[in-house]
Amino acid sequence: MDYHQLLRDSLTRLPTVAATIDSIRKAIQDRGEVVILYFNFDRYSKVEEVYGWEKLDSVLETTGEAMREYLSKSPLASSRLMVAFPNDDDFVFFHVPQDDTPAATDAEITELTAGLKDAVSSEIERVHGEDIAALFDIFVGRALVVYNPKLRLERQIYRGIREAANASKSLEHREQAKKVSDLRETLRDRGLYIEYHPIVITDSQKVFGYEALARGTMRSMRSPEVMFEIAAQSDLIWDLSRLCRERAIEGMGKLLKDGELLFMNVDPADFADPSFDVNALNVKDPTKVVIEITERTAIKDYPKFRGRLKEFRDKGYRFAVDDAGSGYAGLGSIANLEPDFIKLDMSLINCIDQNFIKQNLVETMVRFANEHGAMVIAEGVERKEEYEMVKSLGVHLVQGFFVHKPSTSGVTYRPPMHPARALADGAK
Amino acid sequence: MADTSHPPILVVDDNPDNAHIIRDYLEARGFPITVAYNGDDALKAFEEVKPSLVLLDVMMPGRDGWQVCRDIKSHPTLGRNVRVVMVTALDDWVNKRQALQTGADDFVEKPFELSRLAATVERNVKLLVPNAPSGASTSAPSR
Repeated sequence: MDYHQLLRDSLTRLPTVAATIDSIRKAIQDRGEVVILYFNFDRYSKVEEVYGWEKLDSVLETTGEAMREYLSKSPLASSRLMVAFPNDDDFVFFHVPQDDTPAATDAEITELTAGLKDAVSSEIERVHGEDIAALFDIFVGRALVVYNPKLRLERQIYRGIREAANASKSLEHREQAKKVSDLRETLRDRGLYIEYHPIVITDSQKVFGYEALARGTMRSMRSPEVMFEIAAQSDLIWDLSRLCRERAIEGMGKLLKDGELLFMNVDPADFADPSFDVNALNVKDPTKVVIEITERTAIKDYPKFRGRLKEFRDKGYRFAVDDAGSGYAGLGSIANLEPDFIKLDMSLINCIDQNFIKQNLVETMVRFANEHGAMVIAEGVERKEEYEMVKSLGVHLVQGFFVHKPSTSGVTYRPPMHPARALADGAK
Repeated sequence: MADTSHPPILVVDDNPDNAHIIRDYLEARGFPITVAYNGDDALKAFEEVKPSLVLLDVMMPGRDGWQVCRDIKSHPTLGRNVRVVMVTALDDWVNKRQALQTGADDFVEKPFELSRLAATVERNVKLLVPNAPSGASTSAPSR
């Protein structure tokens, strides 16, 4: 590979660390110090896991652009030097202060971070939608490297980068602890509302049903992925799932018209929860409820799991396999669950109009579903081209911003506020 | 500039007979063709010729087709403007998933019929648009 091509990251078009050190060597030696900022983007790996690498690439492009734009207007602009690790999702920023100015202080960095976070997050929301923006979090670590002529500059800089990276990690851990307490508060106050995303019949675009998505009323709990991630780390999955189920079921009465179904996410781990009982769910008509089980979570004990599924099935509940085709398990594991619906993994839908392998996979899944009497749902359909493609491949049902703009949905269930919470909010 | 309906194509196959059959057939259809016989040469040729399309055999000694595909797609300057067609029988779900993960755009079964190969080339050439939407499959894999 050409040496010069290695010096710039193709996605963000930012120079790489190796390229930058050479160009700021003299400035650091003259000034005698450099401030290194490490931007740690939390949950970008989640974006990749859920939406596929194409989506993360595209989010990184947006991120790089938004950061450059924001930093070019910041007080550090005159000394900024942004770098990226090629194809990775973290960024480094070198700040060599001008002759007559002091190095940026911690307070200035904190302020910069807050502004940057807002700027990048709103740009991501504008370009990629709320769900991805809600996953976004950034932690900035700082390290000051005082130049020592006895040591190799490169080594000093790489040590500084590690130090700044560690600082950003400890910020992340602190933030994590705060999120756990936010989640506990959410559970205590039952601070959840439900957004119902329509699932439509591909040909007619008529509503077939709704998927219930729980969102926390607290800003930090806006993303269901974040809530469940925190819940998993703090052993609160069952409690959170219980609350989500109750809320989703509470709202369905008013929402569902004749024949429409409610799609409700259930983690395989929930089946081990003694309170997740077929008779304990407050559902009047189980034939209107489809339980979605993700293919992402490993099911440890198949026979037992299938036994639990049968209890629900016998009452009239139906099942969907969520994120189907995300793993390498193939179609066998899907067949094992005998689903009524197969929800294709979003990474298969993203840009499907331009990738013939994805088209081939979806075609295979549709054939498989037709043979097994199931219906295929394409989730994450955002563009007309994607819609037209899945339609031509025979996909039965469609979900995504193309058929449901978040701003116009208006199908939200906001339960009455918890008295304690209402009091607290009223007092503000 | 180059004829956009006949962009340059790189053919990679360790079997010269196969490579030459493909080359002769596509050249007769007006495509400028470069041939490489192993993974390392393929990457060199890729940087020199800057092809819009790569037909890539999978089973090669040394750097195999998957690795070459990954390298091509994560190339910092050229990776976003190239489509890669794997020349292999991706017969099951798992193989196809793996192919997606390397960044491949299409595949054509081997042993191939030439007419099928031509159709595959044509449908990929059609998608070579200068302003692909962001997040398009022509971008580089991140790992």
